[in-house]
Amino acid sequence: MEISEINFRLVYYLTNTVSMIKVNNLHFGYGKNGPLFKNISFQLHAGHIYGLLGKNGAGKSSLLKNLAGLVYAQSGTLDVFGFNPAKRTPAMLEQICFIPEEFYLPAVKIDAYVNANAPFYKKFNHDYFTELIKEFDIPVNQKLIHMSYGQKKKVIIAFALATQAKLIIMDEPTNGLDIPSKAQFRKIMASALTDDCCIIISTHQVRDLDNLIDTVMMLDENNIALHASVEEITEKLTFKKIKLVDDSIIYAEPSLSGYNAVMPNYHQEESKLDLELLFNAILTEKTKFKPYFN
Amino acid sequence: MSNTFNFNRFGLLVKRQWMDFGKIYLGTLIVLAGIIFAFYSYFIPSTGDHNILDHDGNLDMRFRYGLFLMLGFLFISITSSTYFNNFGQKSRAIHELMIPASTFEKFMVGIFYTVVVTLFGYLLVFYLIDLGFVKYLNANLSAFKSAADIKTPLKMTDGLFDQVMSDQKYLKYCSAFFAFPFLVISLFLLGSIYFNRFHYIKTAVSVVVFTYAGGYLIYKTGDLLTRNMTRINLHIKEIDVLTWIFLVSAIITLVLWFITYIRLKEKEV
Repeated sequence: MEISEINFRLVYYLTNTVSMIKVNNLHFGYGKNGPLFKNISFQLHAGHIYGLLGKNGAGKSSLLKNLAGLVYAQSGTLDVFGFNPAKRTPAMLEQICFIPEEFYLPAVKIDAYVNANAPFYKKFNHDYFTELIKEFDIPVNQKLIHMSYGQKKKVIIAFALATQAKLIIMDEPTNGLDIPSKAQFRKIMASALTDDCCIIISTHQVRDLDNLIDTVMMLDENNIALHASVEEITEKLTFKKIKLVDDSIIYAEPSLSGYNAVMPNYHQEESKLDLELLFNAILTEKTKFKPYFN
Repeated sequence: MSNTFNFNRFGLLVKRQWMDFGKIYLGTLIVLAGIIFAFYSYFIPSTGDHNILDHDGNLDMRFRYGLFLMLGFLFISITSSTYFNNFGQKSRAIHELMIPASTFEKFMVGIFYTVVVTLFGYLLVFYLIDLGFVKYLNANLSAFKSAADIKTPLKMTDGLFDQVMSDQKYLKYCSAFFAFPFLVISLFLLGSIYFNRFHYIKTAVSVVVFTYAGGYLIYKTGDLLTRNMTRINLHIKEIDVLTWIFLVSAIITLVLWFITYIRLKEKEV
């Protein structure tokens, strides 16, 4: 075995076995509305882009807020690279960048914003930020409040990536972005991923995450309905267009030319993950998928 | 690097807060200076009138006590009430909470802006305007006439702060209330983090309700405990009362600041 291969395997081993985030028996809810999460447990690793999916109200934003320490769990433990997020220690916060769905930017120009906020992040990369701003085509001399929603979102994404934080959390990042910007976003996010960084993207616009995420996490009914890598999903399931539905089909949706179907991958066929189809399939036929992803 | 307090992070936070707080603060300070100047210009003794003298035989400048107290109360209460109001809005609260600084540092920056910058800023502006007008009066003292006796030479007017500090009697009574501005700041600062909307009104209403409820409770308890008892007159030294006023107001201030810190620490979005 050559040294480069050993290095590659070592990096692969470390990034896939050392957990960056450990959640154990998380129980969380808002007041009298009942629990949103009932004793959920999972681990997230560095070097991955996770897609967090779920229906409206499934708890995607709440789970992200739990990880960022913006809300407190009722019971259970959260470990974010060794820190308890509820304590909001500066050492943890400088390693997390959270982009909420509704965000705030002050009435200043980009330079002033960066000068005021970047010094809190030790690894902030000014050159990379400038590069991203140029790539996103943001007018640097305009005040942030005079920018469109999409432009503001791009500024905040550029800032988050330039912090070089270990954990980047994005809640509906593609909302408000036009079609070219969504493609640009996917390209930038894919290039921003490093071996010691973990990116979690929550969205209900599942098509925006096509070819970007490598692991899918789906929330439903107070629990995690699916937590599997794209590789694992396409190894176990195949996504096809078919003419007729038979017993081997787990889930099918009518389309113009027949049906879009999900079926077990008995013959190790290669197929492209259809996130939207998988999302609907899991929500509709949860029990049928359980044997595949236990 | 300490996760509780670090001077570098504290300095960065002060600089960052200035971006949001600074412009509003400076704007308010300019308006405030204008109001003080307008009041002084209107109420200051005029060379054309027969002016009233105060008890010390100075030109009557007593309007400035009320002005100082009323404006001071409004300025420090409004400023303190707006300091943490960002936390009432989801997007701004996330922006503030996710900044890599400890809760203690964020709280201390709040104290810095509401106490050091606001209170001392107000004192400085008031002092400078008062000094300017006092200098003007004293420079033109011979031109002023007294309503009581035109021939009596007028005494030099003292600045507001000189008057309080140089007179032992004034100082004795005023010093008992030295913690009051801090108490007002701590009350409205707590209100700004406790309530999500209409911070000022809700804080003011809460203060009135609690004061009445507390007063009524004390009165009723005292009444119940001393019912059917003979009244005796206890001689309480005046200095003891003044010391207690200072101590109680200072202790309440510290307690309210501590509660504000806890609220900030436990803030969820």
